[in-house]
Amino acid sequence: MFQNRAEALALALPAAVFATVIFLVPVVIVLAEGFRSPAGWTFSAYTNFFSEPLNRLVLVRTFKLGIAVTVVSAIIGYAAAFAIVNLSASGKGRMIGLISLPLMISPVARTYAWIVILGRTGIVNQALQAVGLSDEPIRLLFTETAVFIGLLQLFLPLMILSLISALENMPKDAILAARVLGANWFQVFWKVILPLTREGLVVGGTLVFTGSLTAYITPAILGGSKVLMLETLLFQRVTVANDFVSASVIAFILIAMCFAANLLLKRLATARNKR
Amino acid sequence: MNRTLSFSILTALIVFLIGPFLIIVAASLSAGDTLAFPPQGLSLRWIVKVFTVESFRDSFIMSMILAVGGTFVALLLGVPAAYALSRYKLPFGEAVSTVVTLPIIVPGIIVGLALLRYLVVPFSFSIGVALFLAHTALVLPYTVRVVSSSFNNLRSDMEEAAVLLGATRLGAFFMVVLPNIRAGILAAFILGFVTSFNQVPVSLFLSGPGVRTLPIDMLSYMETTYDPSVAALSALLALMSIGIVFLAERFLGFSRYV
Repeated sequence: MFQNRAEALALALPAAVFATVIFLVPVVIVLAEGFRSPAGWTFSAYTNFFSEPLNRLVLVRTFKLGIAVTVVSAIIGYAAAFAIVNLSASGKGRMIGLISLPLMISPVARTYAWIVILGRTGIVNQALQAVGLSDEPIRLLFTETAVFIGLLQLFLPLMILSLISALENMPKDAILAARVLGANWFQVFWKVILPLTREGLVVGGTLVFTGSLTAYITPAILGGSKVLMLETLLFQRVTVANDFVSASVIAFILIAMCFAANLLLKRLATARNKR
Repeated sequence: MNRTLSFSILTALIVFLIGPFLIIVAASLSAGDTLAFPPQGLSLRWIVKVFTVESFRDSFIMSMILAVGGTFVALLLGVPAAYALSRYKLPFGEAVSTVVTLPIIVPGIIVGLALLRYLVVPFSFSIGVALFLAHTALVLPYTVRVVSSSFNNLRSDMEEAAVLLGATRLGAFFMVVLPNIRAGILAAFILGFVTSFNQVPVSLFLSGPGVRTLPIDMLSYMETTYDPSVAALSALLALMSIGIVFLAERFLGFSRYV
């Protein structure tokens, strides 16, 4: 550890000043805009925003999809992570590689694939008609289901990878001990696995939840203007109506939700360390 | 967990995660005029077409400049900051580390909007420059994080020894520290490159005549045209990412850093 303070500041200052000027200050000004009016500080932008049924619908939908994607990815994530940690070392490495691979591929490319699958002449509709379950194409694109599927595919790898590392850090005999002592699988999961992997679940959950809340590409491609989420609504308010005040309100809601999720993460992680 | 169950779970998982990508590759090899699976005949015409669309070429170059240049600048800012954070008793260290890692938490669309309204409009900044700065700010947290962990894993007595043996502090950094964290810096570069190249929300508002990133160009192309060229481009981009990750994993065990 070096003690020279001037040297330390000289090293760290360029990055800190850059982030403050290019990022922090402009963002704070955008947020402040939602509380300003010619008459002074006010909440009127917020009351106006929430009095609009469409805005409330979009907020609730964003929150609902965020929760749904997080819960479902946790359920699939546990099953998958559990299967993966029990593989041989080489099998595990290969699976982790396959699961991380999509994370490096452009989300536009990944989301575009669902158009081919869910579109009017897509694979799902072809299959449904071939089996005779439906006479005409069903609208699958531009529905909440399509956005849900797209988000799940986008963020599931993050959850699985977090849970794999949590399960690997868990003492191997804990499950066996609980089984020997007569616990059924449900009790083993609820009383042993879940508490011991809580940290991984929280990390994965935060990544998936904030990722879903702030998704733009998925709702833009698979939801369109029929299934707006907060970010697509923000974009629409600005480009269609030049409505910067609503944009500021949405920005504040998004940031507040992300910070709340991250704070929760920190709280849960440190609570664990103290014990 | 029994074997068949675990095998079926993992198979279903891989089909869900990788399957859509394979479908895109297949659709991009179609000979037909519209996006379809199964493809109508096989041909490379759409793959070839991607290279002849002028807007794709321009936006690809734009994205490359942003990803390579932005990450390079982010490293120039981030490496010294990470060094200060890990080796010095930095006054307001907590605040510095928060402000440089904040862009990871704040949604990119807000950063783009903020820069458009409070940098481009009032100071008549060019949109291209603002876009470059935005991508740099976005990548900065990743470089600081990855490089910090490299510094923390490197014992600090190495550079102390170098200084005792007569090297200057700067000399010790360049001759002792830097060669030892080379892999970490390369990993940070790849992570930053991929993040910037695939980034959409930051660039949404920072688009203008002649200034457009590739993903944004793809989004607007697919709004108007329903041919397989976006599929072909997606497949090519995915192959590029896979290639980069494969090489990185091969040569430096990339996954240790991310």
